[in-house]
Amino acid sequence: MPQLTTDMILVMAMIGIAIFLFIVEWVRVDVVAILMMVVLPLLHLVTPKEAFSGLSSNAVVSIIAVIIIGAGLDKTGIINRLVGPILRLAGKSQSRIVIFISLTVAGISSFMQNVGAAALFLPAVRRISKTLKIPISNLLMPIGFAAILGGTVTLVGSSPLILLNDLIAPFKLKPFGLFEVTPVGLALVASGITCFVLFGRLILPGSKGQEGEQAATEQAQEPNHLLAELGRPWELSTPEDFTHYREPVTVDNLRRRYLVNVVALTEPPDFKVLGPGPEQEVRSRVDLVVYGQEKDVLRMAQEEGMTLKPDLEVFKGELAEHASGTVEAVVAPRSHLVDKTLNQLDLAERFRITPLAVYRQGETYRADLGHLPLRVGDAILLHGTWRRLQLLHEEGGLLFTTPLDTEQMRPEKALFAGLWLAIALTMILVFNIQLSVCLMTGALGMIVTRVLTIDEAYQSVDWRTVFLLGGLIPLGIATEKTGTAAWIAHTVLGAIGTVEPIVLLAVIGLLSTVFTLVISNVGATVLLVPLVVEMARAAGADPRMAAMVVGLATSNSFILPTHQVNALYMGPGRYRSVDFMKAGSVVSVVFLVVMIAMLYLFF
Amino acid sequence: MAIITISRGSYSKGREVAEKVAQRLGYQLVSRDVLIEASDRFHIPEVKLVRAIHDAPSILDRITHGKQCYIVYIRSALASRAKADNLVYHGLAGHLLLKGVPHVLKVRIIADLEARVAAEMQREDISAAEARSLLLKDDAERRKWTQTLYGVDPWDASLYDLVIHIHKLSVDDAVEFIVQAAGRQCFQATPASQRKMEDLALACQLKAELVKQDCFELGVTSEYGNVVVYVNKGGRHAYHLDAKLAALRAKLPEINHLEVREGLPFPPAAV
Repeated sequence: MPQLTTDMILVMAMIGIAIFLFIVEWVRVDVVAILMMVVLPLLHLVTPKEAFSGLSSNAVVSIIAVIIIGAGLDKTGIINRLVGPILRLAGKSQSRIVIFISLTVAGISSFMQNVGAAALFLPAVRRISKTLKIPISNLLMPIGFAAILGGTVTLVGSSPLILLNDLIAPFKLKPFGLFEVTPVGLALVASGITCFVLFGRLILPGSKGQEGEQAATEQAQEPNHLLAELGRPWELSTPEDFTHYREPVTVDNLRRRYLVNVVALTEPPDFKVLGPGPEQEVRSRVDLVVYGQEKDVLRMAQEEGMTLKPDLEVFKGELAEHASGTVEAVVAPRSHLVDKTLNQLDLAERFRITPLAVYRQGETYRADLGHLPLRVGDAILLHGTWRRLQLLHEEGGLLFTTPLDTEQMRPEKALFAGLWLAIALTMILVFNIQLSVCLMTGALGMIVTRVLTIDEAYQSVDWRTVFLLGGLIPLGIATEKTGTAAWIAHTVLGAIGTVEPIVLLAVIGLLSTVFTLVISNVGATVLLVPLVVEMARAAGADPRMAAMVVGLATSNSFILPTHQVNALYMGPGRYRSVDFMKAGSVVSVVFLVVMIAMLYLFF
Repeated sequence: MAIITISRGSYSKGREVAEKVAQRLGYQLVSRDVLIEASDRFHIPEVKLVRAIHDAPSILDRITHGKQCYIVYIRSALASRAKADNLVYHGLAGHLLLKGVPHVLKVRIIADLEARVAAEMQREDISAAEARSLLLKDDAERRKWTQTLYGVDPWDASLYDLVIHIHKLSVDDAVEFIVQAAGRQCFQATPASQRKMEDLALACQLKAELVKQDCFELGVTSEYGNVVVYVNKGGRHAYHLDAKLAALRAKLPEINHLEVREGLPFPPAAV
């Protein structure tokens, strides 16, 4: 048994600080990683070269390339074109739709960032829900879980797995191949989907057995009704004496007073204003179009003496479906809009877009929207012309759940995109070249063949992920180099005595699951892999297998909506945290059982 | 057509000024009867309310919400009175209780300490030293009270529109000034400012009803009867807020729309 040294204590202290900061989130997780990158060489726990070796690691280069390849596929609209044929295959049954779409998402997710794959399918799922009248909450959660599970199918599917080879390198273990995890991953995807197909009625929100079904479904759909109601335009005209003996009435006044949103009005003599700013005055004898709940609109018409028209008249052309409409936009994870208020965004002035309502955690907010700080997963109902909405979309930060037809796609490049993905995969599988080199080749190929420009490629790279991975790798090196991992492993095993390898793997799986729920999946992987490798060695189990369990189980993040995919689907799916706990705990247990069983059978 | 709040210390002639102003303008005069109404409405012994508005909240009371809920009741009672407009309120913190309403004329009446000592000696039949120490203690208590509850010092002149020192100026002078000021355009109720007053009264009333049902740590805002209830994370479930609000909504027809926001910072305007 190794002796406890000062260096080991220092490393453990750094691990403690890292975990503490991950949990309290005083600074963002990637900043914690950079902190490790800087402090470890200062304490002489790693050499300066090692400290920054993470940035040039296989994992970081691979993830940059994977993100670029994903962006390229996205740009060509290749994935949207998959949706049509899949739907035809799936038919109209909910179970079949869940199975087919989940499988597709899982497949895409195995080569893309999970949240990217999930975001791509959001508009399609929404459309399916609308046309087939299936509550969206019955679809999104299974599909979101499939996106997370899809990350376990290949070694580039999720950040923890990409990291794995770099983390086991110091232990002189044989690196994993791209598809070495595939059997387990496929079993996990299959079991996840099966869970929802078989027990969906029990674990999904809004369907609680036969008896209360009707009421529960109604309840779950109520917000959707509200949104549907909010999404109907009403045209009114103001009377002759509208502005007599009173202070000027502005668009903002009407919104505050009656919770109705003016989206268009006429200005004498004959101007038409679309998406008027809050300060815009409403004059006498003008026509205006508002969005709002029926009772509010009627109350306004009555109190203000306005005439309600049966249909759109003056604005029939401008507000026709081909020119403008309402969309639901979701605040994306890591969006720059998080914590900003709608007042700060000032969509009306900047884009002539009117926010109608905000949906969060089962609540529709309509009053005093301007001061609401936005959060990830908030769904905002927006009205504007398609062109304006497109401009807003291009600014980024919002995911539109209704696809905009005018999106700048490069469908003609789909062939090239597919070709380069195939080339990268062939290089990995047939020629056995290092992962990062193959993927970077694919990414470069897409740029050279103009699937996306080099600037678009740079923009798509998520620096937060890059530094999170790059910064935590030296912590893994330090844990191994100073013998801390070995010491903890021996101490723990000394305390619990000898255990069966299969029990050890199960415990590791459980530990990883807990860690990934509390700290980030990457953090959990970096901290646990050196530890479990030493433990497995000491207990006579396969150290590679132990590392693989960590890499897989850190994707077992279903119980809390902390995983980015879950956070993203929470708003559009109208889920509450409780819903994730219910369905997530079932899937999590199945995940652990299936994973351990598969490892036992196959390895 | 204004609301006048007169903040005063003990023996500062504030009551006299308030009474005369109300008489001159024909306004309603409100002070302790606000407390009585509050206790009537919420079945709290008046003596407790008086203590609440006078003694600085002790540590214990801050934990059990004791004094804060009494303040809520008083505020609700005052706001519902002020809704009717044309009102003179005298007493501590009226200007703070009606925060955010534009047509409130905020007056503070202070008096020369020697004159107050003399008045107290006469009334309580005590020595000058005793009277002085009692007055200083009373001043300190009132100061502490406003500081704990509202974070401001009642002696800060910038809280008021008028500060009148009754020393060289007589009570009648003070009344004259206040009546003149109350006639200015800026203190006349407009439809917008009246609406604010009504919204404040509605928010106060809803909050008082919720506090009565043991829901603390809430913030309530109202704008044109569109009410938003802010509650700390987890509070919504713990307080069974949805059920209580549904019942209250039926009771308060002024509420046009009601939303609950959980885990968000309370806006400064929330009561």
